[in-house]
Order: sequence, then structure tokens, then C-alpha cells
Amino acid sequence: MKKLFKPIYLSVFIIGIIVFSCSKEVVQTNTVAPYSPSDLDVNAGKWKTYILSAPTDITVAAPLSLSDARYLNQVDSVKKAINNLTPADRATIDYWGAGTVYRWNEIARELAARYNLAPPANADGTYPVPDANNPLVVPKFPFANPPYTARALAYLSVAQYDAMVSAYYYKFLYNRKPIYKYDNSVPPQLPASDLPSYPSEAGVIAGASYTVLAAMFPGEIPYLQSKLAECKNARILAAMNISSENDAGESLGRSVAAKVMARAKTDEMGAANNQTLVPGLKDAASARGMKELWVSQETPLRPPMLPNYGSVATWNFSKTDLANIRPAIPYIVGSAEFNKDLEELRNIKENQTREQARIANFWSDGAGSYTPPGHWHRFACEAALEKKYSEVRMARTLALVGTSLMDAGIACWEAKYYYFAPRPQQFGISTSVGLPNFPSYASGHSTFSAAAADVLSYIFPEKASTFNDYAKEASNSRIYGLIHYRVDCEMGLVHGKKIGDFAIARGKADGSGL
Amino acid sequence: MPNDAIYMKKKTICIAAMAGQSSWDTYWENALQRTNPNLGVHTERTIGGMVAAGISKRMNILAGLPYISTKNSAGNLQDQHGLQDLSIHLKYKLVDHAGFTVSGVLGGSIPASNYVAEFLPMSIGVHSKNLIGRAIFNYHTPGGLYSTLQGGYTMRSHIKIDKDAYQANDQVYYSNEVAIPDVADASIRIGMLKKTWQAELFYETNQCVSGDYIRRNDMPFPTNQMKMNAAGAYLKYQPSQLGGIVRFAKVLSGVNAGQSTMIMAGVLFQFSVGSHEMNHPIKMEKQ
Repeated sequence: MKKLFKPIYLSVFIIGIIVFSCSKEVVQTNTVAPYSPSDLDVNAGKWKTYILSAPTDITVAAPLSLSDARYLNQVDSVKKAINNLTPADRATIDYWGAGTVYRWNEIARELAARYNLAPPANADGTYPVPDANNPLVVPKFPFANPPYTARALAYLSVAQYDAMVSAYYYKFLYNRKPIYKYDNSVPPQLPASDLPSYPSEAGVIAGASYTVLAAMFPGEIPYLQSKLAECKNARILAAMNISSENDAGESLGRSVAAKVMARAKTDEMGAANNQTLVPGLKDAASARGMKELWVSQETPLRPPMLPNYGSVATWNFSKTDLANIRPAIPYIVGSAEFNKDLEELRNIKENQTREQARIANFWSDGAGSYTPPGHWHRFACEAALEKKYSEVRMARTLALVGTSLMDAGIACWEAKYYYFAPRPQQFGISTSVGLPNFPSYASGHSTFSAAAADVLSYIFPEKASTFNDYAKEASNSRIYGLIHYRVDCEMGLVHGKKIGDFAIARGKADGSGL
Repeated sequence: MPNDAIYMKKKTICIAAMAGQSSWDTYWENALQRTNPNLGVHTERTIGGMVAAGISKRMNILAGLPYISTKNSAGNLQDQHGLQDLSIHLKYKLVDHAGFTVSGVLGGSIPASNYVAEFLPMSIGVHSKNLIGRAIFNYHTPGGLYSTLQGGYTMRSHIKIDKDAYQANDQVYYSNEVAIPDVADASIRIGMLKKTWQAELFYETNQCVSGDYIRRNDMPFPTNQMKMNAAGAYLKYQPSQLGGIVRFAKVLSGVNAGQSTMIMAGVLFQFSVGSHEMNHPIKMEKQ
């Protein structure tokens, strides 16, 4: 026995070490190979912008002449750079080569996840409010909850899109070719492009993205500055651009984003957390026939999240439209319909299947995540990468989806506080995903998901059934996770689709012909 | 137990049925010691079966499978319950000289059910496959006084969670796969081992060797670098085939962990297989 077991010991140990230690790195799904766009979208300079009245709102000076000493110097710098590329440089080239719009969207999602934590209670039972002037002091600013993240991503996407449309106008106005078209001793390190290179797309997107994200996540300015520099440098290392092309792009991107952020400063977000409105909102909900109202289930009682977010300016429809498409009053506590929905939750509470738990977990997108709007931006990026979209078409996709997600947040929050409906936890239901701190009706996940799936189905019709299945599952996940009644989810889906339809109408009329 | 220097005789089998409870109302969120009115008292109950068998005088095999249930006294997080991880250990006495023994232990565990790993603190485990190595140094006097120093290292596999992205180490991972830290543990034990009883005091430490921390006001996650130091006592009484054990421990300090108070009790039934020892009364083997 003894002699037999010794070799077994050893071999088990060795196999174990091999199995366990070779795989400490997690393989991620966001490694994307650089590609040539399937369509350059050469007419994008004529597409309809959101904030700019015309692509010429910001002036971009003519590029340096090809014989200018500064131009020649910059070309020399590129030559030096590509002759000394390190493995780290290659990694930088490939990372940004996957797409500048895409990578900045991913950075924004990462920041959303990092800042998506509710403030801890004070010792006296009150809750502190995050302070934009002290973003790194707990409670950190911002609390990147779903409405905040929807808004941050919408402004990011709109700034990227408007800036790219303007950049396209100037690209074809000046028609400056990339350096490798003039000089074959500077081989491009990424797929060559027939797009004029002045101003550079990377500079434009980096400047616009930096400006929006620095305002939305002020504690991350040093990190964002490093990403800005890296994004521009990647284009020089890849011999795709020279520094003056990047700098002109950055300047344009920053100026366009400044105009976009001027809208953000006056969109009423500053009043979204106005807690003094809450008693009036409750009275109005009661007057509408709501017998029992939402009460925070946290100890100490936490003030409801962003009770006035419904007043924030929408993108794709008016406030009259918002009132017109508002979901009808939910089932009243004690009614037969309400009792039926509650009974469904009681059954799931007792007999939740592993598959129901999986669906609830997959879509939970709760604290510490990039939230449902972030999840849908991710789906939009992945679908656009799969179709090898150009930077400008990627930006258009994200602007349509992003504005629709923000609109969904606004309209959903307006309905939530219009009815102030109680959560199932007020009737003895627990949760397997964690309970958000705001009224139940309608479901935010359902509204966000239906709006985004609707817009994505218009852009990617071949994937419509996939996106609609996702939306349905995301909606059901809130029933399986026990925090929404079925009526919240079904009405949220209907509401979200109406919201998405407004973005589709805009997309069809934006001059892209898409 | 896999972490003591006690061996079953050859062809002797011990079956244990155990019930335990671990509970805390205070935990360390990173290094911040706090309570949470939205959790109240967190309680984890365990019912487990364990088998230990003497393969030879120097080698024992041990296997265990616990059923765990969790609940909170406050808030609204759903209770979880299920079979946790099946573990198997081989313990081998490498040195046995003048009251001094050195034992080596190799073990492993695999999840025994498809429980949710990422719903901490309610999850009943983290759903990793583990490989465990352990060394046990023991010295005992002829009178039965003993002292044990042991240390172990648990290699933990990546786990799969239900999500397609998660945050850890201040970044978003675009994967359903999570790398979780390995765990080192050590303990020192002093006790008395007699023919029918054993009494022991111990101090033990469990430390993840890497990992991130619970952020302010966040929930725990399997990537957290949990650390805890506990002290406790252990009693065993086995006058015949039937015996019993009681164990008590209290976490004294920690990081990213609950300040648990743990009690466990078990019933032991010991018997021989094979012909020649069947009629002899069975006693614990003195070391």
C-alpha cells in the first residue's frame, strides 16, 4: 500500500500544480483585432448632428503643407517611432486599433462600474450626498447609478458623434492623405485607410471623450489624461497619423464636447435629487388612486434615488410625448390582479430554480456594475464591431442607443415617482439580487432593455430576434430576482419600445440613409 | 481530521455526523469593522457527514460532504442552501520518532452542487475546485500531552459566475470566469490525548495570499483577500465505538471577513473491517 500511494501523491500534486498555476489569468472577451471598416461612410460630414447646428460650427484650420518643415519633422518622428516599436507599443497600437469610439465607451463603462456604489449611512442615520468638488472622498462622486450612467454615456456618445461628423466635413474639405500614401518608407502598423487623415479620428474622439468624462467623473482626471495621451500616441506609433493631425482633432473634439456639455449643465440634472419634492409626489400618487406607496426598505431609511430625474431634458421626444406614453396606473394593492402577481413572486421565492437564479444574476447589473445602460452599450459595441463599422458609424450607433437609454431612464423615473408604487419587499418577499432604493413601477431594466433592443433591431435587423430575446430575459430577470411584479416588467417593455421608436425616427431622418 | 496528527488504525473506519453553526453580526469591510442593519446577524448552518479510514498504520483517507444553509436576521436577502463541496484527503505519516511525528496531507475538493458563487455573503461557498497540501508537526509525551503545529496551502481554481462581466481589482473583467486567490492556513494546538478522550486549545489563521478588498459599502466578492485569525477549543470523548466531539472557535481579527462565532458538535461511530480485529474493543490510537 505504502509503495503504491507515494507515486500517486506525487503525480496528483504535480498535475494539480500544472492545472492550477498555468491558468491564473482570466481570458476576457474584449480583445478585438484591428480591422478595415466595411464602409468608410464618406458622406458622414453631411449627417445630422445633435448639438452642432452645422459641422462648421467649430473652425478647423488647414493642415500644414507637405513641404512645411514642421510637417517633415513630424513625419520623421513617426519613422523613428516605428523603427523602435517595443512589445508594449504593439499592445498599445492593437488596443486602440480596435476602435477609438469603442475603447472610450469601454473606459466610460469601467468608470461607471467603479463609481456605482451607494453612499454609506452617517452615524446619525442620515445619508451624505456625493460632492463633485471632493470626488474621491467617500461618498465618492458620482454615485454612478443607472440614471447617472445612462446620462454620462449619452453625452459621451453624442459628443463623439457630433465631433466625428464635423471631422468628416473637414477631412474631405482638406483631403489630406495619411503619410504612408505619400511615403512608402513609413508602413502603417494598422490596416491602411483611404480616409483623409486630417484631422485624425483618434484625436477627435479622444478630445471629445476626455472632455465629457472629465466632467462626469472628475476624480478620474489623471487617469483620463493618461488615456488621452496614450490614444493619440498609438496613432503615431502605428504611422496612421502625425502629431499635428492628432492635435487638430483633439482641439475639434474638445470644442464640440464643450458645446455638448453646455447642454448637460442646463438639462436639469442638478435638480434630479431634489428630495423636497417627495412629499408632493407622494400626495399626487395617492390622489391618483395608489392605496399603498413605496417605502425604503433600508435601515436607516434611505431617501429615494433621484426622485426628480423625470424632469431631466430628453433627447428624442418632448415632455408632451413623455406624458402621452407614460404607462397606465399599475395594479392597486389588494386587487385581484395585484394578488395574482404577488402570488407568482411568493411561488418563485419558495421554489426559485437554478435557471431562474442564473437569469436574475446575469442581468442584475447592480452595485459595482456598469448598470443596464452600460450592458446595452456593450451589446451595441459588440454588434458594431462584428459588422466592422467605421468610427463614425460606431459613434452614430452609440448616440442613437445612448440617447434612447437616457430617454428611457428619464421616462421610467418619471413614471416611478408619478405612481410611487410599493416594492414586493413591502409584502414579505426577499430578493436574490439586491433591492434598488426607488419605487417599483415600471421596471427600469425592462424600459432600458426594450428601448435599446428596439434601436439595435433597427440598426442590426438580422439580430433583431436576439436583442428582443435579451430584452425579454432582462425584463423577466427582475421577476426571478423577486424585486418586480410581472406588471412592472410587461408595462416597462411596452414603454421602452415606444421610447426606442423615437430614436429610430431620428436615425431614419439623419441623412445617413441607414 | 485532515489537520491533526491522529490516525485511525489499519482497517478501522470512523463515521461522523456533525452539525455546526457559524454566525456574525460584525464584519470587516476591508479593514473597517462594522455592523450592518440591513444584514443583522448572518448565520450559516452546516450538517455534514465525514468518513475516516485507516488504510495502513501510517495512512488514512478522509472524506466529507457538508450541507449548508445561510440566512440573515434583517434586510431582504434571500436565504441560500445546498450541498457544498465534497472533499477527500490522504494523510500520511512521514516521520515517527521518539514522540515526534511529521505528517503530510494531500487533499482536494469539488463542488457537489451547482450553487450560486457570487451572491455573498449569502452564497454557501465560492464553487472552486481546490487542491490542498498540508504539513503537520506533532510532539507528544508518553503521558498524552501534545503540541501540534500545522500549515496548509489551498490552490483554488478559477470559478464561473452567472454574469458576463464583473468588477474586481478596480477594473471590469469581460468574462464569466473569475480568478480567486489561493488560501494559506496555519494553526498551533496544545492538548491532551488519552485513551478515551482528547482536549485541545488552538489558535488558527486563514489568509488569502492575494486578492482585492471589499469597497466602502459594497458587498463581498469571491476575489476578496479574506483573512481571519481565530482561537478555540476542541473536545472529544470516545469510550467505545460511539463517541462525540465538540468544537468552539471565535474569530478574533480579520479583513474582508465576518467575525464569526463557530460551534460544532458531532457523533462518531468507529468500527473495524476485516476478520482479525473485529472482536477487539476499539480505542483511539495513541501516537
